[in-house]
Formats: sequence, structure tokens, C-alpha cells
Amino acid sequence: MLKSMVVFVLSLLLINSVFALEPYVEKSLLKKIEVKYKVFAKKRFFYLQQTLDEVKDESDLEKLKAVNNFFNDVRYTSDKKLYNKKDYWATPWEFLGKDAGDCEDYVISKYFALKYLGIDVKKLFFTYVRSTKFKQPHMVLTYFKTPRSEPLILDNNNRRIFPASARKDLTPIYNFNGEILQKGKKKKSHKKWDQLKLNMKRKKI
Amino acid sequence: MTLFKQIAMMLSVFLVIILTTVLTLNFQSANQSVQDRLYEDAKNTASSLSLSLGSANGDISMMSTMINANFDSGNYRDITLVDVDNHTLYKRKHESEILDIPAWFLNIVSIKAPVASANVSAGWSQVGILHVQSDTIYAYKQLYTILKGLLISFTIITIISLSILHLILHALLRPLQEVQKQAAAVIQNEFIIQDKLPYTKEFKDVVLGMNNMVSKVKAMFDKGSAELKTLKELEYIDSVTNLKNRKYLVDRLPEYLKVDAHSKGGISILVALSGMIEANEKLGRRDVDKLFLDISKIFKDNAKNFKNSIVARMNGTEFSLLLPDCSPDTSMKIVNSIYASATKIIDEAGLNKEETFLSIGLYNYNHKDTIAQLFSHTDNALAQAKFNSNNIHLEEAKNATEVMGKDAWKLIIKQAIAKDRFRFVSWPVLDTESKKLDHHVLSINLNLDKSTSYSYAQFMAPAIQSNLSNEIYKNVVNMLFKTPDMVLSALTYSLRLPEQYLEMDETYEEISNLLRASASRLPFKIIIELPDKMLRHDAKYTKLYIELFQTYNIKIGIYEFIGESDDYQYLQDVRPVYIKGESSYFLTQSDQSLSALRLITDAVDINLIAVGVMELETVDKLKEKDIKVIQGKATELIEL
Repeated sequence: MLKSMVVFVLSLLLINSVFALEPYVEKSLLKKIEVKYKVFAKKRFFYLQQTLDEVKDESDLEKLKAVNNFFNDVRYTSDKKLYNKKDYWATPWEFLGKDAGDCEDYVISKYFALKYLGIDVKKLFFTYVRSTKFKQPHMVLTYFKTPRSEPLILDNNNRRIFPASARKDLTPIYNFNGEILQKGKKKKSHKKWDQLKLNMKRKKI
Repeated sequence: MTLFKQIAMMLSVFLVIILTTVLTLNFQSANQSVQDRLYEDAKNTASSLSLSLGSANGDISMMSTMINANFDSGNYRDITLVDVDNHTLYKRKHESEILDIPAWFLNIVSIKAPVASANVSAGWSQVGILHVQSDTIYAYKQLYTILKGLLISFTIITIISLSILHLILHALLRPLQEVQKQAAAVIQNEFIIQDKLPYTKEFKDVVLGMNNMVSKVKAMFDKGSAELKTLKELEYIDSVTNLKNRKYLVDRLPEYLKVDAHSKGGISILVALSGMIEANEKLGRRDVDKLFLDISKIFKDNAKNFKNSIVARMNGTEFSLLLPDCSPDTSMKIVNSIYASATKIIDEAGLNKEETFLSIGLYNYNHKDTIAQLFSHTDNALAQAKFNSNNIHLEEAKNATEVMGKDAWKLIIKQAIAKDRFRFVSWPVLDTESKKLDHHVLSINLNLDKSTSYSYAQFMAPAIQSNLSNEIYKNVVNMLFKTPDMVLSALTYSLRLPEQYLEMDETYEEISNLLRASASRLPFKIIIELPDKMLRHDAKYTKLYIELFQTYNIKIGIYEFIGESDDYQYLQDVRPVYIKGESSYFLTQSDQSLSALRLITDAVDINLIAVGVMELETVDKLKEKDIKVIQGKATELIEL
């Protein structure tokens, strides 16, 4: 009986290890991040991995919450201060490495983390909105359970996830999903998105 | 193909390939750029139109209107709006005809306008995706204009580049042309030294090498020339009197004793001085030599008025005077004068006139005589003179019984000239060693009618007597160039032309005209044989004839050569293919003389041919002298 229990546990471990996800950030890149952003940055990526691992088998909503909560802890800083540019779309590694970024950077990092967790990217959109509260342009990540359903809003200003109808402070302007537009032979879809993809390909940190 | 052409072709092909590649790359780049532009335009439209469509809140009619407005105002091939399930909500497509562009261009160039897409949303909800594709018609027009511009530039650049390339190559290879000229001159046996050395090392080395080689050959020629001249002086000149000797007379006589000789006859005088042993005893050798010299001067003075006369010392006490075209009466006056002057000198020298005296034999020779006949008759005359009281005897030539009289001949020849009755005949010149034909010698027969024919030897003597020989040659040369089919078809023929004919003022002009009109059509090679004497003395038309024949690539041969020149440079200038001399001339030459002659002829690649070879024995003797090419009856005895 004991013997069969041991075999069962070992089998589970083996299956687990075979089907385990690749790490969100590969080791070689993590080393470079550590060198550039020091040990705390590495720790942030460790906690991110831990967070992602915790919800990897959960529902889409749980994944959305975990990712939204994790990244909303990053402090908001303008591109001007961080990159000395008026508008810059940072890679997830730059965002968490610096532990700072603006609204697009939150959206990007949340998008790729959710993609890592297996959420269909067709359900996720970068949405240009206008914040009536701050009276300025803003960007949030929207999640469409189905193409015609009401989206959920993942916002860095409001830490909780609400359906769109509950976000009266936001006026939607334009939805955009680079990967949908980029399918097939097309290599270009959106200037900022194309540049971001290039930076990610180059492992920009 | 010349090196210049090869390099020019190679570099031209290279240049054209490079320029074509640049043209192609430029065009491809332009093509890509145009396609990128098409995409950017489509992308901008898709982005801005999708934002506008968002304000329609999903109203299809509103969105269709917006799409129509955009489509009609811009250059689009296709604008399609699909919903989230990829079903078409609205579509506009333009099937435009591409005008003003040639079909070949459309077939060759393929422009694909990329499709740009943008998400369309209405508020928070998605509407679908907008696809925009620009129209390619303007891209084709733009590309066609670019291609035309590129082709014009390419053509201009190619022409300029090839011109510059040609000039550069020409400048670079100019030294090579000089080298080539020098090499061609060497082939033509001309000795050109190139003073201006090329800058390029390889060419410089070649020029130095060729200069060296040419110098050596020239030195060899000069050495042979100097040696032959010295030997001729020793061989042909009597050291005491500075007169020519017996050998010289023998070598020259064939020129006087032939059917077509310039002179039909004259007087051969043989003078013998008796009592010279006694004179030696009385005066001593030195004074006797002076006596010989003084008497020689008398001979020379009396002979100088006769063109082509020869005065020679035959042996210690005998002298010969050959006076062409001299009549018996005139000759008697001359010998009387000689006798009187010589007797006076003998007397003044203190010698006994009864003991030391002259005997003079005269023979009225005919150009048809042989050398032996001439010597025999002159000897007889001298023998007779010794018995005569005045020590002088004239022996008249016995006139051969002529078949026809002078007037009859004149009539026949005139008729033959008028009616073109001359026909070519030929006989071979053989290389006795290789047993191969060298060339054929052309001669003419006079065919009076079907049954009567006269050979050159028969009719030429009366023709000369009647002053018709030049007319005959004019007729023959005309016949050769205008109706060459009359000549049997061998590869190479030679035709001998006499000096008298060539020196007539109208002959040069006539031959020039004939060559200009007919030289290129001759079905065989022709070698024109010119007399050595004419070339040696640089006669009036010599240079002109040489240049004329060289212009038409007609080779020159020399006949009646006895190596009598003071300077053999003329051989280098004329560059004959061969020199023809009497077999007796070659056989009587010393080994040193022949060797010196060989040195000259080998340096400029001239063949030696012995003519008048009658017997196989002579052929063998000539072979021993390294004379292998022969002309004469002996050729009939040699099996090929």
C-alpha cells in the first residue's frame, strides 16, 4: 500500500514537472535584469512568477485579478521622468525592472502576463480611453469574455476590476489588439505595438 | 583578336553588368519603397477611418457612408469592414484599368499593395476589423516613370563610362601598339629600333628585348654586307690597275648575251701587251705597274662613252673591253686611238716599241652568242692581230641565216600586239631538296595562228630590234591582270619585267591603274621580278614600284644578281622574296663570298635561286654550295 502511494506521488511529480510552464522570464534574461536593476528587481520577478504560478490553474477572472493586483503595486511614473520621452511603450522587463511606468506600461505587462497564463489574446484589447476624472488620455486593458460581451476593465488608477458599464469615469475611444491585426503574413499592425514587439524580440531591459 | 579588343570587351561587359545590377537594385528598391508607401497610406486611412467608424456606434448605414466617402475621395483598391466573426459588414472594391503603361511593364513588374487593418469599436464593444488596400495604378505609373528615368541615366552613364574606358585603355595600351608595330616590322624584315621606351615594365622589357634582337640582326646584316663588299672588291677588282677582272666579266656577260638583252650586240676587244718580261727587266716591277695603270686609263677613257661598257684585266698582260652598241667602224677608230696612245706611253717609258707593243683583237659580237663563242671569236681575232702588220684585227660576226627578215618580223609582232596573239606559258622553279614547286615562271609565246607559234627567244630579239618590246610587255601585263584566267591555275607565278619597260614614264601609271582595278581579283599570287641593276642604282621609279607592289601585297623578286653593289641596304629596303642569279655565278663564287651573301639574305629572309640550270650535275654542284632552288631545263630531269 505504502509502495503504491510512493509510486503515485512520484508519478504526480513527474507529470507536474513535464507539463510545468516555462518560467515567465528565462534565467539568462533574469541574470541580466539582476545585473542592471539589482537584486530587488530580481525579487520582483520572483514574486511575479510566484503569483503567476499560483493562479495558473484558476479561472480567467482569478488570473485577471492576480495579475491586475500584482502590477497595480508598481508605482506610476511618467515616461518623461523615466525615459525622457513623451510617450514610450516599455517592455514588461523594463517596467518591473524599474518598478515604475505609465498607463500603457501597466497594460502591456498585464497583457503579456495574462497571455503567459494562457488567456486567449483575442479576448484582450488595449483600449484608449479618456479619464473624465483626471480629464486626460488614458489606457486600460479590456477583457472580452466573448467578442460581443461587456468587457472587464483592468486599470492602474482603479485597482479593482469592474465591468465597463461601472466605469463611468472612463470614455472609450478606441480598442486595439496588435496580435489580431498582425496575423497571417502581415508584419506591421500598429506603430507603437510594432516597436514594442521589436524591443521584446531584442530582449530590451 | 587584338588584346585591346579583348580587354575592351571584357571591361565593357563587366561595366554593363555592374550598371545593370545597379539599375536592377535601384528599381527593386524603388519598387519596395512604392509598396511601403502604399501600405503606409492604407494604414493611415485604416487608423483614421476606424476611429471615425467608432463614432457611428455600430450603425452599419452610417459606417457604410463613412467608408464610401473615404473610398471615393482617395485611391483605394479595396476597403472592407468585417465583424468580430469575420463576416463582411461592408465592402468597396475598385476595378480600375491601368492606362498609359505598356503591357510588357505590367507583365514584368508585379506590385502588391499590402492590406492594412485596424480594429473598429463602438464605445466599449468591438465592431470588427477594417481592412484597407491602396490602388496600385499610381504606383505603376510612378514606377514606370522611375524606370524610364533610370534607363536614360543608365544609357548616358554607360556611354560616358565606355568612352572613358576606351580612352583609358587606348592610353594604357598605346605602348603595346608601338611594340606591335615593331613586331610587324620584324616580320617584314625591317630593322626598327624603338627609342621611346614604354612606362609599363612588361612592355618596356619586351621593347628592350626586341630592340636587342633587331640590333643583332641588323649587325649581322651589316657585317654580311661589309664582308661581301670587301670580298667582291678582292674577287672582281684587279689590284694593280683597279680595273675589273676576268671573273667579273664572265659573271656580267649573261646580262649582255641573251635574247632580250638591252643591247643587241657590240664590240668585244681583247688587248695583249707583248714584251712585258723585258719591260720588267728594264724598268723594274714598280714602273711596269705604273705603265699598266696608265694604259688602263686609256682603256677606261675610250670605253666610258659606251653605256654599260666593261673594261677588265683578263690576266697579267691581257685586257678586255666590252663595248655594247659599238659599230665596227667606231671600234676601229677607238682601237687605233688606244694603240697610238699606248705606244706613246710605252715610248715615253723608255721601252723599245718593237719589243713592247699592243696587239688588239676585235669581235663584232651578237647578243645571241654564247660566252664561249664570244671568248673564242675574240681570242681568234687577237691571234690574227698578232700576225697583222698594224697588230689590229676585227672579226665580224657571221650573221645567222634568219628565217624571216626584219620587216617581216616587225609586221608579225605588230599584228600580234594589235590582235592579242600572245599567250602565257610557264615552267617550274623547284626546290631540289624538298622536291617541291617553289613557283612557276611566266613567259609568253606568240601564236600567229593555230599551227604557227613563236617562242619568247624567237620573237623577242627582232622585237627589240624593232623597238616593239615595250609594247609587248604592256600587252602582257594587261593580259595578266585583266584576263588572269589565261594563266594555268598554279598557286604562285613570277613575271620578269625589264628595266627598259619599267622606266618608261607611262608604265608606272598603267601598272598602278591595273593593280587598283584588278589586283584583288587575281586568282593566284604573283611575284614581279625586277632587274638587280635597276634596284641597285635606285632608278627613277624604283621606290615608287616597290611601294606600289607592297600596297597590293605583291612580292618582289630580283633577277640577274651578281652581288656587285657597294651597299646592300637596297635588299633590306626592297625585301625581295628571292634573288635569282645565273647558276654559273653561284658556282664560281668563293665559299666566303657565298657565306657573306647568305648572312645578308638570311637576315632578311631572302631565298637564293639559280637560273639556267641545264644538267643534274650542276644541280649537285649547286647543292654543295647550299643553293637548292633551281630554274632551267634540269627541273625536267628531277622527279617530284
